Amino acid sequence: MSSLIGFLSLIAATGINFVLLSSKIFINFNINKYNTLVRFSSILTFISFFSLMYAYITSDFSNFNVFQNSHTDKPLIYKISGTWGNHEGSMLLWISILSIYGFFFSFTKKIDIELKKLTLLIQSFLHLLFSFFIIFTSNPFLINSVVVTEGLGLNPILQDPGLAIHPPLLYAGYVGYSIIFSLAIASLLNKNNNEEWLYIAKKWSLVSWTCLTGGIALGSYWAYYELGWGGWWFWDPVENISLMPWIAGLALVHSLLMIRGEQVLKRWIIFLSILCFSLSIFGTFLVRSGILTSVHSFAADASRGLFILLIFFIITGFGFLVFLLKKPETSKPITLLFINKFSALIFNNILMIIATLTVLLGTIYPIIVEVLTNKRISVGAPYFNSTVIPIMIPGFLLMSIAPILSWQTNKIRSARNYVIFFILISLIIVIQSYFSKFNTWGIVGLILGSWIIFASLFAVLTSYKLNFNFRFFQKVNPHIAHIGVGIAIVGITFSSVFKNEFTYNIVEGENFKINNTDIVFDKIETTNEKNFQSLRANFLISKNKKVIGNVKAGKNYYPVSKMITTEAGIFHEWFRDVYFILGEQKDNEWLVKVHVNPFVSFIWLGVIIMVYSGLIGVSRR
Amino acid sequence: MNRLILISPLIILFVICLFVLIYLVSGKNPNKPPSALLNKDTPLFKSVSLYDDKTFINNESIKNKKVLINFFASWCTPCKVEHPLIFELANENPDLYILGFNHKDKKEDAKKYLKDDGDPYNFVGIDSDGLIALEFGVFGLPETFLINEDGKIIYKYMGPLTEKIIKDEIESLL
Repeated sequence: MSSLIGFLSLIAATGINFVLLSSKIFINFNINKYNTLVRFSSILTFISFFSLMYAYITSDFSNFNVFQNSHTDKPLIYKISGTWGNHEGSMLLWISILSIYGFFFSFTKKIDIELKKLTLLIQSFLHLLFSFFIIFTSNPFLINSVVVTEGLGLNPILQDPGLAIHPPLLYAGYVGYSIIFSLAIASLLNKNNNEEWLYIAKKWSLVSWTCLTGGIALGSYWAYYELGWGGWWFWDPVENISLMPWIAGLALVHSLLMIRGEQVLKRWIIFLSILCFSLSIFGTFLVRSGILTSVHSFAADASRGLFILLIFFIITGFGFLVFLLKKPETSKPITLLFINKFSALIFNNILMIIATLTVLLGTIYPIIVEVLTNKRISVGAPYFNSTVIPIMIPGFLLMSIAPILSWQTNKIRSARNYVIFFILISLIIVIQSYFSKFNTWGIVGLILGSWIIFASLFAVLTSYKLNFNFRFFQKVNPHIAHIGVGIAIVGITFSSVFKNEFTYNIVEGENFKINNTDIVFDKIETTNEKNFQSLRANFLISKNKKVIGNVKAGKNYYPVSKMITTEAGIFHEWFRDVYFILGEQKDNEWLVKVHVNPFVSFIWLGVIIMVYSGLIGVSRR
Repeated sequence: MNRLILISPLIILFVICLFVLIYLVSGKNPNKPPSALLNKDTPLFKSVSLYDDKTFINNESIKNKKVLINFFASWCTPCKVEHPLIFELANENPDLYILGFNHKDKKEDAKKYLKDDGDPYNFVGIDSDGLIALEFGVFGLPETFLINEDGKIIYKYMGPLTEKIIKDEIESLL
């Protein structure tokens, strides 16, 4: 029953969008009608989504999708997340989020009515394309032809709280760019135009970018403790796909900041708006077509791939074609100086676009090579590390002072202090590294990270009146965001350059020592949980003969899907993570792998600060 | 010049879509990398039987036979999943010689596994150090090869076989 309701509401929502689109040609609805229709279609889409969720919660196996992906033994939260833990459901989630954005956008007031109508119309068009895709190739409401009492289970590796909310957040980021896309195209098509839409786009771009940041970080954190490889970023195609709209979105957010000054690089902003959403759809295409090999093994289906490729081609082609044919009225001339705010922002934008294109090239290069030569190659971490990181370095150098640069002049307040400051930090770090572990990348990363942190702090202290109210935090927000980046850079540098890996073959009761920490392999425990069997090794961690904690690392066996997952055990400290992986058993001995990852917590802290300042940024006018 | 810059996103889009389209339409699948061995001679191998230290198998023994080579191990869960399908293959193609290579496994475990789940293989060879798998370019278990009467590898599949794969891809070659 719920499946039927879900399917019918999806059809009805699609019908409404169709009516809205055809109304443009036949009857000219007024804006109120537009608002009502858009909200109505959004609500129907939600109903459709929640019907599917209801089928999952009640384990309604008469729905084929639920039968394929769920099981009565699953805890409630994973039944819920099962809704989007599969291809069909995740596409339904995609258009539900599209609807949420359309729904909220329909309440926007301070906007030219024709522009708003056009924007909603383009949103409807997007909704229509993706609904067709769902209805014709990925219907989650198909009826199960056999009567069964049990389902086939959800991929156990996805049974994780972090991952349950990772896809919705990520999609909120991807799909959020649709509003900016629609706004940008609408602004090109609309004749009498002011610049109001840029302010609206700024808010939405911050919302999307913040969601995307949170989504990527959650996925990365999940990979860190669930995949059991000791790392948190693998330059996996699926990760790269989310990174591209993230970097492009960062460029967009920064470009939109320019509207605080008088000059507007409208054209560039429109280009970025189209690019961000195009990259999002391209990402969806690459993931959903199964065209790339990845740790994320999604079901591959060529017909679906072709359909999304078509959607991608239509939307992106349409976007760039309008961009080519319709010129925005010329913006006022811009003042480019050697080092003012404007030149810094342009410089940063250029770097980010180069970085995005570099990631794009690395990601699709294997496809191009295979088509041309029929040979398979893989592009991995070495390429990305040695291209993307150096490209970003000048940008990192600049970002610490960029927020206090002037719009109109070349002057930097107390420039000399910054120079002295920079030399001092560099000297300290070089000397310190010389006496500990010398590593060029380590030094570069540390200098950059700490320079960003300290210079931003210095800028806050010297350029603003300290006054801890909300307005103050809004004002210094760019600096806070950059401090977050600095902290993350320190974390990334330490955890990738100075990590250590140890391997032991030990029996229960034995102990070993890492740096000044004693670790006892206490015992092995096996327990039967609701939907899996767990095997855990307990490690006692002590410093100076005092036990300071324990960690359990092991494996889970999921009988339904006959899968074994690694459950890494992590002992978190502020300045390092001790990361345990339990390997194979041989006779009485167990293979135990221990990674010592210094400063990993800084990465997550940095990301939290970025997300925080994204949220503050949204609240700012 | 200005126009050229403006049109470049469209050109890039077109090129990317074209390549991806060719990739999709030509039915390439990242789970099935084109094997360097495809249409080449079977690598030289020699392996001792799991059940009997004195019985060997090598390239000579499979001459003029159509052979399906399957790499498996008792510790490999996906192998367990595809196991019943190998029985089906054996039953439906009595002329097909099915050779199993027991990869990096303990003898007792392998024997127990084949006793519990049944033994569909005409011959089970031991590949305890994984050298044979290396010669065949095996990425991970299970992996299946099809060899024609001339001793050439004509098909390779990575991962557990499924009904669909057998029906669509293997049966046409038998």
